[in-house]
Amino acid sequence: MTRQDFFIKWGVYTLALLPVWFCEVYLLNRYPLFGVAPMLLPLAAMAVAVLEGTMAGAGFGLGVGILCDAVYFNVDGTMTLGMCLLGMGAGALAQYVVRQNLVGCLLCSLLALLCMDGMRILLLLLGGTTDLPAMLSLAGREIAWSMVFVFPVYALFLWVFRRVPKKTVL
Amino acid sequence: MKDFFRRNGILILIAAILLGLVTAVVSMLLGGAANPFANFLGVVTTPVRNGISAVTNWVEERYSDAFEQEQRKAELEELKKRNAELEAKIREAEAAIQENERLYNLLELQPKNRTFEKEAAMVTAHSTSNWESTLTLSKGAGQGIAVGDCVVDEYWNLVGVVAELGENWCTVRTLIDAGTEMGGQLSRTGGAAILEGDLTLMGEGKLKLTYLPENSQLISGDLVETSGLGGVYPSGIVAGHVEEVRTDVSGMTEYAVIVPETDLDSLQQVFVIKDFDIVE
Repeated sequence: MTRQDFFIKWGVYTLALLPVWFCEVYLLNRYPLFGVAPMLLPLAAMAVAVLEGTMAGAGFGLGVGILCDAVYFNVDGTMTLGMCLLGMGAGALAQYVVRQNLVGCLLCSLLALLCMDGMRILLLLLGGTTDLPAMLSLAGREIAWSMVFVFPVYALFLWVFRRVPKKTVL
Repeated sequence: MKDFFRRNGILILIAAILLGLVTAVVSMLLGGAANPFANFLGVVTTPVRNGISAVTNWVEERYSDAFEQEQRKAELEELKKRNAELEAKIREAEAAIQENERLYNLLELQPKNRTFEKEAAMVTAHSTSNWESTLTLSKGAGQGIAVGDCVVDEYWNLVGVVAELGENWCTVRTLIDAGTEMGGQLSRTGGAAILEGDLTLMGEGKLKLTYLPENSQLISGDLVETSGLGGVYPSGIVAGHVEEVRTDVSGMTEYAVIVPETDLDSLQQVFVIKDFDIVE
């Protein structure tokens, strides 16, 4: 793969992130279902990590994490590192344990969302919030509703994955 | 370039750790002001947010015009009745106001005065997280808005408090957010209590009133206002009305469920109170 191919490929991945970001931030949060809106940006990072592997997953996760830090309220840098680690973990899991397909993406997305909400609940508990059943209920609804969107998000990034250059034909 | 990520894996991790740390430290140091990247992204996307917000509002208005006419008619009838009642009350109040003025002059008291410096702003985006209830506004530090400023709607109902600030945008933590905590006062009885956000009630668009005054006989519909204690927020801003009184899980104390007077889902324009002067 040439330098140009490399930039085209990751440029197209970045462009594919735009509709995902748009839907999450401007559209789906206006019409919540069961009181929750889905999280799409982490799903995008997981889809790319599953398709591209460990280190590329970490790299894309870093980019998505920076975007999440700017978009999400009150996260203060945690998403940058968190998404990078989750991308790396999902890539490794897809590369060595499960398959690099939709099922692998579903599993990695579920684990990533569980990690994120688990960490959030832990921080809230440490911060003095005691309403654990309410937090678990919210996390459950959020994860369930977000998992529905694994299908379109994975399909979008698979489409990009199949069409971007993998190697230069001479 | 093929193995770029494989060869630079450790660098990516170091970059993530450093960026995360820098963002955390900068956010902490700026104390409510958005970190530089969030500020930049907010400034760049403000026109996009404004456009999307305008289109969404237009579509919702058309939908409402087309499918909710019967409901509108019923609301109009109800409002007409209410208007007639209020006009009768105003006529009665006129005499009391004049008498009040005469007594103030007679006793040489300083009259009550409420002065507010407001900044109108458009709501351009709603919460991006299910764990917080926030609104993004079209005005920011450039227009003199500061973290902690109170935000009200056009009917002078409390919307929330500015929590994060960018150059031409700001994020408002709404009154139903789980992190909300401010002094409240019951309009009818004058009893002071605490307005508190709750994670469970936030999903229903409500909040709770805790530390209720002893022997408080709350009635459904009782109005709750900001108390203004501490001087951080102005007093007398309507937060909501009492829906019901519940007992907490311990069974020891009671709290009231409050329904906000403002409709957070359909807010389009709000006013940020930049400064206020209240003489009681």
